Amino acid sequence: MNRSTIQVVDCQILAHYQFESAQFILTLASDSIAQKTKPGQFVHITVSDALAMRRPISIMSVDAKNGTFDLLYKVVGEGTRQLSERKVGDVLSIIGPIGNGFKLTDKKLPLLIGGGVGMPPMIAIAQQIKDTDYDPFVILGSEVPFPFTPELSKMGNPCPKVSHTMPLLEGWGVACRLASLQGYEGVFKGFVTDLARTYLDALSVEDLVQVEVYACGPHPMLEAVANLAKEYNLPCQVSLEEYMACAVGGCAGCVVKVQTNQGVAMKRVCVDGPVFDVTTVF
Amino acid sequence: MQKNLKTEFCGLKLNSPIVLLSGCVGFGEEYTRIDGFSNADVGAICLKGTTLEPRLGNMPHRVTETPSGMINAIGLQNPGTDMVINDIMPNLDKSETRFIINISGSSVEEYGEITKRFDDTDIDAIEINISCPNVKEGGVAFGNDPDMSYRVVDICRKNTSKAIITKLSPNQTDIAFSAQRCIDAGTDGLAVINTLMGMSIDTNTKKPIIGNNQGGLSGPAIKPIALLKVHQVYQISKHHNVPIIGQGGITTANDAIEFIVAGAATIGIGTALFYNPLVCHKINDGISQYLTDNKLDSIDELVGTLALNNFISSCK
Repeated sequence: MNRSTIQVVDCQILAHYQFESAQFILTLASDSIAQKTKPGQFVHITVSDALAMRRPISIMSVDAKNGTFDLLYKVVGEGTRQLSERKVGDVLSIIGPIGNGFKLTDKKLPLLIGGGVGMPPMIAIAQQIKDTDYDPFVILGSEVPFPFTPELSKMGNPCPKVSHTMPLLEGWGVACRLASLQGYEGVFKGFVTDLARTYLDALSVEDLVQVEVYACGPHPMLEAVANLAKEYNLPCQVSLEEYMACAVGGCAGCVVKVQTNQGVAMKRVCVDGPVFDVTTVF
Repeated sequence: MQKNLKTEFCGLKLNSPIVLLSGCVGFGEEYTRIDGFSNADVGAICLKGTTLEPRLGNMPHRVTETPSGMINAIGLQNPGTDMVINDIMPNLDKSETRFIINISGSSVEEYGEITKRFDDTDIDAIEINISCPNVKEGGVAFGNDPDMSYRVVDICRKNTSKAIITKLSPNQTDIAFSAQRCIDAGTDGLAVINTLMGMSIDTNTKKPIIGNNQGGLSGPAIKPIALLKVHQVYQISKHHNVPIIGQGGITTANDAIEFIVAGAATIGIGTALFYNPLVCHKINDGISQYLTDNKLDSIDELVGTLALNNFISSCK
């Protein structure tokens, strides 16, 4: 087993911004986590001394040079509510980075699909491959206002009439479009998978075989992504979540049902995942 | 490791009185992923509950937070006795700590068979989880019935010369009587207590949060209960020199010292690791300092030193 690969570090909060619908972006200081994190990994956070359990949250982006990393989360329960009250300058105990992360393959057209608080791992992949020969396309979906201000994209438009993007990705030179059922300006009105279909249908046969799908989001979205990948015969990796206790593989609390060559198995999201081949979980 | 932490439990020489509890630390290697964590910092590790055949365990959710604690219902997910003996045990680094296998069965005979299998290995001791349902005889947990507890311990005793530790359930009327029956059947040590059964409900769906509907409550919420149970069991076990692993909600050295004073010879750490994976350093240091401050050479001098108040009857 990989001994001593996960750090326990006290991280100071450098920034903590609130967006609409109780969404927050938290910037924390840690050289080791910023330098070691791979896309799709997460950290396990002590949100307050009053709660007995930590909370697992995906890493959205890192600044290895300055030793910082960003998390995006939404208040959904008591843990995230107490986290939202923590102030700049406070110190949080962090365990990380944890998990297998996404495995980047030789398919040069990664299609990254993130829904809601499933957006961060997609942004993490985009950050890693932004200056490489990969040519990713990112689709982000949200049914509440996005935790950023969508802006008009100047990058080539693979999806006519869908004009807006995430500024961070635009700055990285990564093509991105947004989807929502809410009818926001410049945002595709529909599901992320419908927008993905528009993108895929516009690709040549030669390009289509270069696509690998990476996804993270609510369960129904991932199920739709699984069906899409099957329909287009595309390899697909998905990041899952589950209630978690230890986050190091010790308690088997966070398992999901997985199909293996030996039959059904219960795999731990924390260390066997959180990323799984879509065909093994749907 | 501080010298004054060395102790002996059921014939095993331990570096520290800390025992890592079954179900919390996998098969002994998982927590070593944490930088700064070492198995050498604890006296013994109870490995994950093992059954004769592999088990997939329960459907999620398996864990949920509750006030000052958590509920779990893992369902004994494990690869089965053969794989544990052949594939996992050879990789344990026995120079670091002592390893105790934790066994579970759905019949008295299954307990006997697993014990026999582990008797042929170099495992240091066998902990019996008697909180499993007796599938053959109506599904009541063995540990909730002193006579069934006796039968389980008795068959294990007949199948091994290794040290046996029986993990007692708090979900019964008289834990001290149950302890007596386990001692009669030949247990060498007692683990006090296993989790308390509990439930948590999602008010939106009106369903239990735990996939198994109910599960075992652990963490600081159960500490006062565990402490009283240790005290009660110690009143019996002390007459037979049967030592206790005191466990239930310990997160600090002071908690650990409370359990030792109540009668525990060693102390179990489980849920506390989930909050602080490096908590054992703090507990070792705190116990060692307490012994020094109180001019005690070892933990043995502290076990069961509880001085009860004697004026209870004067309040009329």
